[in-house]
Amino acid sequence: MDIISVRDLDVGYGRTAVLRGMNFAIAQGRITAVVGASGSGKSTLLKTLIGLLSPLAGEVRLSGERIDFDSERSLRTLYRRIGVLYQNSALLGALTLVENVALPIRMHHPEWPREKERAAVRAMLGRVGLHDCEAKYPFELSGGMRKRAALARAMILEPDLILCDEPSAGLDPITSAGLDELLIELRTGHGVTFVVVTHELRSIARIADRVLVLRDGRIHYDGDYADLLRSDDPYLREFFLRKSDHDH
Amino acid sequence: MRALDDLQRFFGLLADEITYVGQYLRRRRGVLPGEIAHQLYAMGYRTFPIICLITFLIGVTISLTSAAQLKMFGADIYLADLIGIAMINELVPLMAGIMLAGKIGASITAEIATMKVTEELDALKTMGIVPEKFLMVPRLVAITLVVPLLVALADFVGIIGGVLVAKVALGTPAPVFVREVLAAVTLHDFLIGMGKTMVFGWAVVVAAGYKGFFMDRGAEGVGKATTESVVLSIALIIGLDCVFAFILY
Repeated sequence: MDIISVRDLDVGYGRTAVLRGMNFAIAQGRITAVVGASGSGKSTLLKTLIGLLSPLAGEVRLSGERIDFDSERSLRTLYRRIGVLYQNSALLGALTLVENVALPIRMHHPEWPREKERAAVRAMLGRVGLHDCEAKYPFELSGGMRKRAALARAMILEPDLILCDEPSAGLDPITSAGLDELLIELRTGHGVTFVVVTHELRSIARIADRVLVLRDGRIHYDGDYADLLRSDDPYLREFFLRKSDHDH
Repeated sequence: MRALDDLQRFFGLLADEITYVGQYLRRRRGVLPGEIAHQLYAMGYRTFPIICLITFLIGVTISLTSAAQLKMFGADIYLADLIGIAMINELVPLMAGIMLAGKIGASITAEIATMKVTEELDALKTMGIVPEKFLMVPRLVAITLVVPLLVALADFVGIIGGVLVAKVALGTPAPVFVREVLAAVTLHDFLIGMGKTMVFGWAVVVAAGYKGFFMDRGAEGVGKATTESVVLSIALIIGLDCVFAFILY
């Protein structure tokens, strides 16, 4: 079953389209990596999928239901069913880790008793390996721990889909690999669906079931990573082989 | 054209905030529990010393400059009337508003603008939280609650400045001075001063939020937005004070 499907999508700023004629669907329980050079439209696509940008044309469907970007109710439904992991974690600096992770519960389920909320937060922090950091503030955590905490917050309401913006950005290779393992575990063990915007080829090789390559606002490649590496396409060869040399 | 857009956004935000505060008072949702208490502490406890100091110094300064003139005409006792009316009706609201702009407004803008840079506002939106409600309602409720206390304290301290000068420079006994102030100033004057300060407080918080939410991206934008927030707040306070003067006198 498709969690999210995009049809004839044009997105832009003002009247200038940055993404043109996009068509794809994301199946449940898979990790899809969105890759592309700077300016290719990755961030624009992500912002559209999380409801921060309205399309100029086309449609986005979440579990078959069309998202109306002009309707607050439709966007609220979208926000309840997705989780977002931001590039710099975007944890609220004034709140502790527990308060950050509990925030979506307090906003969407204020009727939950405190014990139930606390149990859910503890379980989620345990799942991402942060059970002993509950009372800490974001500035007291390392970059990797902040990413894990942000992932816990994104998952606390058990969304259908989690979108990650450059999850490895700013992390050392070991921490980055640890985060990748966590994503794989969540996909395999809990059936979580991920869309990951990334530049990290090593990370793509580890986690991606499928790769979407964007070029100049269009989908240039859509398929497996292994097939991509075998491709004769000059752009893919230049982008991935050069980048791969650079990464190593 | 840009000025028109800015005006539209400012009044749009103001209208939204009035709606959000109304919604919050009815349903008590959309705001973090305990945040109003936190803001009361930040706005009240942390600002009252500086507001009291400034109003005391202004009370002393106005008294000193006026005392010499009044003494020449043998109208020493009217210093109490002058200080009472000037402090309660005009100087305390104006100075409290300006101090709130510098201390509270600047910190609100810096906080919101930084949250925008670090994508925290986007994170709030994608959690289904309205940042303009989540961040601003506790501050607006807190400023509404804290202003009466700040104004009462500042009025008292400002008049104390006048009492000291009257005693030292004119030899007027403190009980006489206070009795004259109470005869010159009515409850109506006190309530007008408080009402004006409350309007100035709201103007500061909304202007600070406006500059924070609509800042340009980047660390440089945070500093720019913070400076502009203070300038806008002070301009609004003086403009509103002028409007009040036309309406009330």
